[in-house]
Amino acid sequence: MRVSQVLCAAGPVDAVTNQAFAWRRKFDGWGWSGADYAARLAPRFRSAELKDLGELAPAADEVVLVHYSGYAAGLDRVAASTERMLLLSHNITPSRYFWATDPVTAGVCELGREQLAQLGMRAGAAAGVSEFNARELEALSGRPAQAIPVLFEPAPIPRDAVAQDGPPAVLFVGRLAPHKRQDLVIAAFARYRRTAPGAQLTLVGSPATEEFGAWLRELADRLAPGAVRFETEISGARLASHYAWADVFLCLSEHEGFCIPLLEAFHSGVPVLARGAGAITEVVGDAGIVLGAGDDAATAAEAVRLVVEDGELRAELRARGARRLEHYDAGRAAEQLRAAITELAA
Amino acid sequence: MKEPEEALAAARRAAAGTEQDDDGVSWTLEDPTLSSGQLMQWAILAPDEARVYSTRRMGKPITLVKRALVRMLRQYLNEVNAQQSRFNALVAAHVMRLEQRVDELERRAAEQDHPSR
Repeated sequence: MRVSQVLCAAGPVDAVTNQAFAWRRKFDGWGWSGADYAARLAPRFRSAELKDLGELAPAADEVVLVHYSGYAAGLDRVAASTERMLLLSHNITPSRYFWATDPVTAGVCELGREQLAQLGMRAGAAAGVSEFNARELEALSGRPAQAIPVLFEPAPIPRDAVAQDGPPAVLFVGRLAPHKRQDLVIAAFARYRRTAPGAQLTLVGSPATEEFGAWLRELADRLAPGAVRFETEISGARLASHYAWADVFLCLSEHEGFCIPLLEAFHSGVPVLARGAGAITEVVGDAGIVLGAGDDAATAAEAVRLVVEDGELRAELRARGARRLEHYDAGRAAEQLRAAITELAA
Repeated sequence: MKEPEEALAAARRAAAGTEQDDDGVSWTLEDPTLSSGQLMQWAILAPDEARVYSTRRMGKPITLVKRALVRMLRQYLNEVNAQQSRFNALVAAHVMRLEQRVDELERRAAEQDHPSR
């Protein structure tokens, strides 16, 4: 079996890129050959494992797995050259979040929605990494799409990444981008900090634009001076330490197509407090406190306080998180993708 | 308290009695409305030379070379900018005219539907 993978954009800390690499390792293990291609590379990203999309000329029996995350020039040519294309939607962030700060990305998202619909109609098979994405793809293309979850293979927690006795620690992991609402996380944390003056917030993630990153830092300095730490492009061990130190994982994103850090929090035993937007409700299930549309920063702050102060509640959330991870068992996800590819190749 | 659902209800009760912060951060972001002025601003290209840099760890010399190249090619780049900006401005102006026509047509349609207003 030969399976090539296509990425719309690739970067060093990009979740979709990491997924493609993880799947390639699985394919290698199954004895499947193929190469991986990207339409665009992030400025500082150089990878010997990725070829330019222009070089992809699929053979008749080759399956092309497209990890779709935004408009990519050249994808239409690939789609027209094969009937064995599995379109896996990782979701496109609505463009409205980017027009004010990053109009180019907004354009990529806007065009991407149109391209996703076209590709969905042409693809041999279609899927989304969550039910939310699958339903969205169905609505766009008018064809059925199944949900094939992300391949979540967490690294073992390092021995030195142990919980520390210290002030309460709140954590969020995700690219600093408008739809991830780190501004709201900072505002909710600032409110919580009034009841826990020593509390610390750590935001892990690279800024979508320098201006947006600078704006978040200014907001943090204004609302919670000295209490918010920004970390970018950190090692896996450092990230594991942040999870180990965290008392609560606070995700107030307004839109998520999946949000792998939620699974990382479950894996690390960090109680999850999240807003029920996009695929978050589906991914969290009953394993976290899920805020609704009618809630606000004050409710989020109170919920953080309860999670930090109530040991029984924390233990229950940890237990539920561990159970929720069973749903995202890597073996099950692998079997689902393998079945979809095998069927397409037959 | 053990159940997350209970905790959420308790958090909502506790938050209900507190004052809203005047921090300028809303729970839901409003849709941005792109003004004609913003469209025209983007239409006219004005690339910033400071954005030409190397992303490598010891990239300072590479940055200097890149910026020197930009300066050497300035005449050509200005020509490219001018052509692209001209096209962008024409498209932006066309879109603005269409918006005005749509507004006018909608106004007339509303008048026909409700002539007494």
